[in-house]
Amino acid sequence: MSRGHVPSDAEYKSQVSAVWKATFWMGLITIVEVVIALIWMKYLTDYPRIILNSFFIVASATKAFFIIGEFMHLKYEKRALMISMAVPLIFLVWAIIAFSWEGGAWHHMRGY
Amino acid sequence: MAEETLLKHADTHEHEGHEPFMPADEFESNSPMKVSYGKMMMWYFLLSDAFTFSAFLITYGALRVSNKWWPDPNHVFNAMPFMGHKQIPLGFVSIMTFILILSSVFVVLAVIEGHRMNKKGVLLWMLGGIAGGAAFLGCQAWEWSHLISEGLRPFFNPFVPDAQGMTHLAKSIVDPETGRRVLEMTGNMVTDAHGHKFQLGEGFGKFGGVGAFGALFFGITGFHGFHVFTGVLLNVWGFFATLSGKFEKVGHYEMIEKLGLYWHFVDLVWVFVFLAFYLL
Repeated sequence: MSRGHVPSDAEYKSQVSAVWKATFWMGLITIVEVVIALIWMKYLTDYPRIILNSFFIVASATKAFFIIGEFMHLKYEKRALMISMAVPLIFLVWAIIAFSWEGGAWHHMRGY
Repeated sequence: MAEETLLKHADTHEHEGHEPFMPADEFESNSPMKVSYGKMMMWYFLLSDAFTFSAFLITYGALRVSNKWWPDPNHVFNAMPFMGHKQIPLGFVSIMTFILILSSVFVVLAVIEGHRMNKKGVLLWMLGGIAGGAAFLGCQAWEWSHLISEGLRPFFNPFVPDAQGMTHLAKSIVDPETGRRVLEMTGNMVTDAHGHKFQLGEGFGKFGGVGAFGALFFGITGFHGFHVFTGVLLNVWGFFATLSGKFEKVGHYEMIEKLGLYWHFVDLVWVFVFLAFYLL
């Protein structure tokens, strides 16, 4: 949103409703995460944990997109700004893979 | 054309002394990103801060997978204020998550009111955001003091496995000879917080569970809490600056937008702290 631009009533209404919509989804995702964690703890502990963890990671990433896109307003900014924020984060993908690998190597070195 | 603008401002610069080289509005309309200098720099600061937090969380992940055993979060974080010894896994942290999300929402609404130059709306929602941040800090203080009372320290972890790998909170004491915190042990048997005895899992001794657990927990949630604390202070400043009519005089509420960006980032980091410490 550029400086000095005053939104019309219709724009204002749609902005506010978009914020509450995002809030609703983020709240729902958090509740589902906790409920599934509790159900898993009670009834599903024998199943591979990676299923649960993958769900948690996807759910958290969804929440992150709502925060960055809607609350931090990046969805409505120029593409150049989006790209200059997103591209450096590629290094994190490398870091996560590299350090998980390294952690696994430490695990073996300790003789587990 | 750009050259003309530059020359024009070089002129005013010479005449008036303190005029900025390129006024902020002009920076914004000339920028390919169509944002002001201040907002762009806030984004870049947040990007760098994202790398700091990622480094912490990735370290946490690497240390966690390198260990044979890690305390079960459902067991470690299951206390709730005013509920005594009732065990409610994830209950309290979920409340903290909701508080922080709501606080973030209030600040977005303050930003939207700022676009409409609605001073009263900005003040109201900023107050909500500040209250949410303060409530979150209060919750965190309670959680820390509870874990410290259970014996968790940056270099000592009383959460240990039994022979089946289940997490137990063991009773710990300060060794009078060395001054170090250790588990209260008789042979291979440890007493838990409720006075029950259990056999300690293989590979664990009187120095307790994985020591890094406490260091990572206090370090990462502490660093996040420090961000929340700073954010609350900045928002309080934003509130009073709005109250004094500072932004009305400037003609826009962009400062509230920048404070908002920082505040949402704090919420964003919490999503991943919540994921790493409490869910996985």
